[in-house]
Amino acid sequence: MEGIYAIWQRDVIKFFRDKARLVGSFAMPFMFLILFGSGMSGALSSMIGGNAAGPLAAFDFVEFMFPGIIGLTVFNTAIFSALSVVQDKEFGYMREILVSPMSRVTIAIGKVLGGSTVAVIQGLMMLLFVPFIGVSITFLMVLKLIPVMFLVAFAISSIGLLIASSLKTSQGFQMVVQILIFPMLFLSGAMFPLNGMPAWMDVIVKINPLTYSVDMFKKIILQPEQMAPALREAMGLNLSIFDHVITFSQEILVVLAVSVVFVILATIKFSRAEG
Amino acid sequence: MKRNIVEVTGLKKRYKDFEAVKGIDLLVEEGEIFGFLGPNGAGKSTTINMLSTITNPTGGTAKINGYDNVKEKNKVRQSIGLIFQESTLDEKLTANENLMLHCKFYRVPKDKREDRIREVLQIVDLEDKRSNIVETFSGGMKRRLEIARGLLHYPRVLFLDEPTVGLDPQTRNHIWEYILKLKEKAGITIFLTTHYMDEAEICDRVAVIDHGELIALNTPDHLKNDVGGDIIEISTSDNKNAKRKIEEMYQLTVSENSEGKLSFQVNEGSAFLVDFVKKTDIPIQTVNLRRPTLNDVFLHLTGREIREEMVSQRDLMKRSMRGPH
Repeated sequence: MEGIYAIWQRDVIKFFRDKARLVGSFAMPFMFLILFGSGMSGALSSMIGGNAAGPLAAFDFVEFMFPGIIGLTVFNTAIFSALSVVQDKEFGYMREILVSPMSRVTIAIGKVLGGSTVAVIQGLMMLLFVPFIGVSITFLMVLKLIPVMFLVAFAISSIGLLIASSLKTSQGFQMVVQILIFPMLFLSGAMFPLNGMPAWMDVIVKINPLTYSVDMFKKIILQPEQMAPALREAMGLNLSIFDHVITFSQEILVVLAVSVVFVILATIKFSRAEG
Repeated sequence: MKRNIVEVTGLKKRYKDFEAVKGIDLLVEEGEIFGFLGPNGAGKSTTINMLSTITNPTGGTAKINGYDNVKEKNKVRQSIGLIFQESTLDEKLTANENLMLHCKFYRVPKDKREDRIREVLQIVDLEDKRSNIVETFSGGMKRRLEIARGLLHYPRVLFLDEPTVGLDPQTRNHIWEYILKLKEKAGITIFLTTHYMDEAEICDRVAVIDHGELIALNTPDHLKNDVGGDIIEISTSDNKNAKRKIEEMYQLTVSENSEGKLSFQVNEGSAFLVDFVKKTDIPIQTVNLRRPTLNDVFLHLTGREIREEMVSQRDLMKRSMRGPH
């Protein structure tokens, strides 16, 4: 147990020590939210007919994007946290860890938990944007967000560890993750409402665990149950499979299942790779 | 009789089409400084990796502190400290954080951690650097910190893989002082590899490995005696003639080294020298009688000199590429 704590603690200490990374972590969400979000909001509103009077007038693209930005941040941080595994191999620290009497499972779990924690902290830091974009967030929402963020981060960190255990260089890792990150992000509903997509794309959306993750953030922050049905539809908030609208608790189960599967796979892969 | 802390029997490692270690046997006594020498690619690192549970052997057994290296990996790991050639410190963390993490990895009891950290830092004279970030340390300080860290869990055997490679001579001497201090204070067994033959002299016993086989294992003195007595080096004004004359007179093999000196091996060097100078009409300019060094032993056994300059240069480069990030 203490081994898990030690591995976790190292990642957290290093996160807070790396000031450049802390500041830099705001750059991407900022650009998406302010440049992309604000820039696109007019175009998107008029596309879905939000410029006319009626329920759709309440559509605000920046507001729509905000849960997605939290998702993006958590996702990015969690998956890139596994980069430290590859870097530890490159810079030698992994040998210090591997020749210690800790079990490989301990090390893998510690790494996943470390990445998840850092991702939650990063995700929470995105709430600093709240005053500037006109979303209202209550304390209760934050309380709900934290465990959901953690669950999502845990699933994604596990995927990251699985990739990191299969690779030897950080360049390789970054390349694989970049290839993975964009389709997962764009087909998750984080950037734009997922309405009227081609069928094949819709399939990808539905098997993308990020879709359910982002949808959970939307359900917590945008509170679709209080929206006019037409607006809810336009914002793509009726995520459904085979005409069945997926509930929040079902989404939790999906992400939980993804977490369990990938943490097991990652642990096995890591243990095998590092003997 | 002290107990054997490292017991190796018939240890083998085969990679696909290449047998790196061809069945070696060795026993290391508790409290010994044991030197493990060999040219590059002789199977040195593979052996160390098997002894330290990093790779599994393909044949034979190794036991450390009574535990089997394959079946009881974690117990072996708890019994050994490892100092690698390349740094394995986390340079973004402070010395204290590196040490504290190590305590946790090895389950050093909570109430003992503070004392142990102080103790090991004192051994390597780094007490005042405890809260500094490792990135700011010099190469020698990092090495010392690494040695300190390797001692935190009170290992029974400390493996040192080229502990002084890439360090300047002064730092090298310091590191050796620490290692000797360790042996005296903690009674710890030290198993080390080195390319520096003067360092190997400090060892209680030395094993030489070549082509995956142990070709010698004894005390440095014994090994040097096995080379065949003393070495006489002379310089003359006519080397060719002198070489022929000595070879005829004494039935010896005389070799000429790169500095233009003739050298040959005799038993009872001082008695020989008196007789030789009296009898000979060779125009001798200088005479030097010396005991064989481990370098001569190595040359004698493997037919090769340990090329320490080349190796350390390469390791230096390797290390600088791994430098702070």
